[in-house]
Amino acid sequence: MSEWLEAADEAAALEQLHDLGCTDGLPVVIPTIERVERMVLASGQAADMVLGVMGPALGVATVEKVAVAAVMAGCTAEHMPVVMAAVQAVLQPEFDLTEMQSTTHCTAPLIIVNGPARHDCGGIASGFGALGPGHRANASIGRALRLCMINIGGARPGSSDMALLGHPGKFTYCLAEDEEHSPFTPLHVGRGFAPDDSVVTVIGAEAPHSVIYSGNADDPNDAENLLHQLAVGLANMATNNAVLTGGGAVVVLNPEHAQILSQANLTREHIVQRLFELTHFPKAQLKQYGGSFATRITGDDDYRAFNAPEDILLLMAGGSGLYSMVMPSWCAGKHKNSAVSQLVELNPFCEIPG
Amino acid sequence: MRDGISMARLGIPSVALVTEDFWPQGDFTARSLGMPDAPRVQLPHPVAGTGEANLQRVASEVVDNIMQSFTAEPDHV
Repeated sequence: MSEWLEAADEAAALEQLHDLGCTDGLPVVIPTIERVERMVLASGQAADMVLGVMGPALGVATVEKVAVAAVMAGCTAEHMPVVMAAVQAVLQPEFDLTEMQSTTHCTAPLIIVNGPARHDCGGIASGFGALGPGHRANASIGRALRLCMINIGGARPGSSDMALLGHPGKFTYCLAEDEEHSPFTPLHVGRGFAPDDSVVTVIGAEAPHSVIYSGNADDPNDAENLLHQLAVGLANMATNNAVLTGGGAVVVLNPEHAQILSQANLTREHIVQRLFELTHFPKAQLKQYGGSFATRITGDDDYRAFNAPEDILLLMAGGSGLYSMVMPSWCAGKHKNSAVSQLVELNPFCEIPG
Repeated sequence: MRDGISMARLGIPSVALVTEDFWPQGDFTARSLGMPDAPRVQLPHPVAGTGEANLQRVASEVVDNIMQSFTAEPDHV
């Protein structure tokens, strides 16, 4: 069980937590025994239930320790199922969390929420400014995972988290898909879950890169032109996806861009297939710009940035307009820093009194 | 919205065209610039990039509202 600290009051406790390197640099809600116990109660699980071991410090992620992070992050009890699922997801071996925490690359787990949990777990935003600021559930859930990665996983900048510059999503990086307005099947359904399942999908992702495209319904190549723009953002030669290859990446279509693709009768499967094709590049390009990484590519004249179309995670979120977002990824680690989806368990959680 | 209010302040009759997705922002801008009742007409969203035929259709649908906004008494705008 956790070792508890003592302080004269909450102000002193906050200073103590900052001094110990237990925060993300911002003030936290003090994880008093009472607050943590209430959060554990909300989880419906035993405090000492082990979710896994979190690197690089190999800390044991118990429900209680996750609850401590959730309290510190400002979560309500409603957020806890999504926090738990996100922690379970990054602890899957395929996610390569230990390596990701330690890399010099700027990568953070992007949490994508699908299904009823978007509404049932505190209202996770999927529209204007979903990645923040201003949406409590998004901000708190993403921050809770980060505080787990700091305090259970032991990631500290410059000693165990070696990201050269970091990125703002390392404070919090969480959004929901706007399933109700999307013309496409939701991300989790594309990944084999039922529409009514609540699912968290995590991927180690760079900060969002904006992709501008001004549609023109009178242009028969409208959809294809948009796909070209997205492909450039996904895997231009400055990205790990184009140089290291074989990892995943994220495309967040805004509703206007989704409509352009839908009106061309493209489905989710068509879109990721085309993006997969548009990110095949001449090997000479990698030789010229990829340095020593180019030597790993042998064979054909062309090489692929992605191993398979489904490695490109496609969803719709945000306000409607000129800009979609792409998030390239790290593409390293034993499993190439794979995306992982985890069912959100809503049933075990109980309402806590007043 | 901001352009419409700037023109109104110059004494030039103006009606702002605001798409439905940006309607709340239009309200906010009008309030923050001290002209909450500045006349405005709602357009569907999106308009840009939807093609010549759609622009003609949208224009024909809103032209009466725009003329009404230019000519109505302030209380009826």
